[in-house]
Amino acid sequence: MIDETFEEFASLYVLGLLEGAELAAFEQKLARDPASAQLVRELRESSAQLAFTASDAAPSPELRARLLDRLDTAAAWRKQSNVLPFRTPVWLPWAAAASLTIACAWLGQLYLGSRFEAATLRDQQALAEFELRSARNQLEAERLIAGHQLSAMTEQLAALDRQLKSEGDLAQFKISTLASLLGNSPQALAVAVWNPAKQEGVLTVEKLPALAPDKDYQLWLVDPQYAIPVDGGVFRVDPSTGVAHVTFKANRPVNSVAKFAVSLERKGGVPKAEGPMVLLSQ
Amino acid sequence: MSTLTPCWSGDFAVQPAWGDVFARMNPAGSTPESVAAAERAHFDAELMRRMGRSDREAFAQLYDRFSRPLFATALRILHNSAEAEDIVQDVFLALWEKAAAFESGRGSAFAWAVTLTRNRAIDRVRMRKRRSELLAETTAEDAGTQPSGTGPDSADGLMLKEQAGAVRAAVAALPADQQRAVELAFFSGLTQQEIAEKLREPLGTVKARIRRGLLRLRDTLGGRHD
Repeated sequence: MIDETFEEFASLYVLGLLEGAELAAFEQKLARDPASAQLVRELRESSAQLAFTASDAAPSPELRARLLDRLDTAAAWRKQSNVLPFRTPVWLPWAAAASLTIACAWLGQLYLGSRFEAATLRDQQALAEFELRSARNQLEAERLIAGHQLSAMTEQLAALDRQLKSEGDLAQFKISTLASLLGNSPQALAVAVWNPAKQEGVLTVEKLPALAPDKDYQLWLVDPQYAIPVDGGVFRVDPSTGVAHVTFKANRPVNSVAKFAVSLERKGGVPKAEGPMVLLSQ
Repeated sequence: MSTLTPCWSGDFAVQPAWGDVFARMNPAGSTPESVAAAERAHFDAELMRRMGRSDREAFAQLYDRFSRPLFATALRILHNSAEAEDIVQDVFLALWEKAAAFESGRGSAFAWAVTLTRNRAIDRVRMRKRRSELLAETTAEDAGTQPSGTGPDSADGLMLKEQAGAVRAAVAALPADQQRAVELAFFSGLTQQEIAEKLREPLGTVKARIRRGLLRLRDTLGGRHD
């Protein structure tokens, strides 16, 4: 039974207007139903007649001649293809086997050659990688050495700087020798060095008389800006040699030291010199 | 690139059995057009059989019978005479090459040739993506053509003129809306939806018009074989 829907599908089908799922479903039905196939054939024949509704026109006369020439060429080729006898020669299998053997040998040689070439390339790659690693290590070593050299030079520069600074400071140092004022110890001697930048100094004494337990030697720094000497601290000497090495500081800021003096004072020292002066810078 | 869905690939082996069309025709109910169509189809089939035996003369005769409608169809679709000639040349070479496989019981040689021509022309149109440009042109502006209202004076030419006249009369007898829908479907290469948009009608209406138009042509031109 052919209904209108099927007729519609058949009409679209012969005009190439069915697509996708519709086309697949229709062709399935067509394959199963002879009546449907008959309708499609009839519609196809009718639709082909529509070619006559196009405006009448003829191709160029040359087309006919050209086509007939093409037919001659095609016919000659076809005839040649048909005429050529071809019987399988007896030697063909042997020739095929020989060809196969030669081909296998050639391919084997090609394979081995390729393997050798690949191995060579791998070696070259490994060598290149090794050289690359060596170059990197050398570069790293040189970088470290350069770093060390730089830090060493930096330290040297710093040392030089410090040295220059200290030499500059040394020029500012006040160095004085102190002579004995004691009649019983005329050979007593002292050297005082004062660093104004650090506001500290070093005192070395020799051959000073040993002290009583309730006495101390006291160092004084004479700064013109003060009315009385500045206290430099107390010290004691080795009773057997009379030697002492003392680092001292002033108990108030000192601009310049005009004189150093050492007096004999009571134990612990005094804020203002009271006892006899035993040493005085020259 | 879209390709035309082949409604007839040209491979006869995949076609449903055609049956003995003419043997099953009912002479009592036949129209003059259907009888003439059967005679033409029979003659064309004989030419194809001779072509299958590499008969150049048969090819030349088939060319004289088919070349004008095939060229006109390709030209109507492509609007370019050089391209239309290319298509016609390809189709005739295909007919020559496949003539030995032709079986008249599976369809007429003319329908096969028209289908090949139309499919190839529409494929070419879609390939060059100039569809809208081509559709803007009018049929009368078939550039580069040399319209010929009078074909050759040979018997084939006269027969062609008669056949063309009968088909045009049948198409002209269709209601205008059916005529427009059928012609667009055959010559434009548009999809169903595109045809509906061009005609500014619902898709269902357009499908129905195509169905009615083709069935009526079948009845008028004698394609029906009950």
